Amino acid sequence: MTVEESDLVLVKRVQRGDKTAFDLLVRKYQHKVVKLVLRYVRNPAEAEDIAQEAFIKAYRALPQFRGDSAFYTWMYRIAINTAKNSLASRDRSPIRYDLDLNDPEESHSVQTKLQDPDTPEGMALTEEIRQIVNSAIDALPEELKTAIVLRELDGLSYEDIAAAMECPVGTVRSRIFRAREAIDKRLREVFEGGLGRTEEMV
Amino acid sequence: MTDERQNESHLERDSQLSAMFDGELPGAECELLARRLTRDEALRAQWSRFSMIGAALRNERGVALHDRIAWRVSSMVAQEVTYGDGTVDSAAATSTNTAVAGPASARVSASARWARFTRPVAGIGIAAGVAAMSIMWLRADVGPDPMLASNAAPETSVVLTPEATGSTVALNDTAPVTRAPSNGEPDFYVTPAPSSSASIAPPARLANYVVAHSEYSGPLSRRMALLGLVATDPDAVPADSDADADADAGAPDAP
Repeated sequence: MTVEESDLVLVKRVQRGDKTAFDLLVRKYQHKVVKLVLRYVRNPAEAEDIAQEAFIKAYRALPQFRGDSAFYTWMYRIAINTAKNSLASRDRSPIRYDLDLNDPEESHSVQTKLQDPDTPEGMALTEEIRQIVNSAIDALPEELKTAIVLRELDGLSYEDIAAAMECPVGTVRSRIFRAREAIDKRLREVFEGGLGRTEEMV
Repeated sequence: MTDERQNESHLERDSQLSAMFDGELPGAECELLARRLTRDEALRAQWSRFSMIGAALRNERGVALHDRIAWRVSSMVAQEVTYGDGTVDSAAATSTNTAVAGPASARVSASARWARFTRPVAGIGIAAGVAAMSIMWLRADVGPDPMLASNAAPETSVVLTPEATGSTVALNDTAPVTRAPSNGEPDFYVTPAPSSSASIAPPARLANYVVAHSEYSGPLSRRMALLGLVATDPDAVPADSDADADADAGAPDAP
């Protein structure tokens, strides 16, 4: 089974009435979609809004999705169109002239929005997660590290990784899982309650 | 011992989750695990963390914050229409995340369903209307229906001999049929001969007219009229007329 077919299982569940399956697709692709949208808008908050809108559009259009292309390819197009439309409507929207740039607070707020796309809290949390993940990766045995890096960074299939590492596909599956499990354990140790609820922490 | 077995079972399940995330789980297992994910929030959180680990490894920005998109989308999707019959399986039906569509979305659902139903019906209706109009137009052009000779119009069931009709009548090559007592059904049906231009209009009169008036008409209009004649019935155009010579000169592709 490929990623496309695996996603299609979830898509079909959504089409049969399982909204939670759509939540899984969102959780899986939200990072990629935000990263994509950030190519069009610099403000992360705006990118999140656009990503959210794109996912809602995708949900509404999902009955028409027949699986001719991969779910992410389809989602990719929706996200790009949503970002472009958002940019176009922003260009058309009237410019606010009532900002008092002599007011230090308002001036600072505008400058922050223009120059510092990430909020300090978000940047700090992201940095912390990145450090945990990187230190956990460094602590992994070499074969686990290689397997997870080939999968996540190079996007290779299990079969290709097996060929590269000269081991069975089952071993690759086990190595990738063990690597993820080890990193996940470190993350859970640091953030009690799990990172699935980061919105509460922020 | 039981704890050990449970632990093994959890490890196997988590391993399946990792493989499903990568799209490397066999289809049947994928379906079963998707069902399990529907009712297991802890498993979904783990799915989320797998996604976050990948994003962190790829050095993506705002890794920690993006999960709130899922949370926001989930709340909004809860207000949206539930597709299908909403009973994908019992687990989905009992899941806390499976929302009941509100009245507004129910209206949307009903109108969408109505639109889905009416669209093909409207298409068929339009096609039928066009077909009916075409038939009526053809009937008006040809005259009485040559396909059907009914009791209501016995005089149209006259069978004409080829000598009498020449090229003017559509009822050709038919054998006389004895009329049965009327019971609402037509007495007989005549199968028309394979398409013949003779049933449209007699071009001989027009040909004669064109030949007779050829010296008064302009070369272009004469040529157009003759081309129409040639296309309608080549035999009707006199081969030895002056007009024919003119037409050949102007229309080299004509037969």
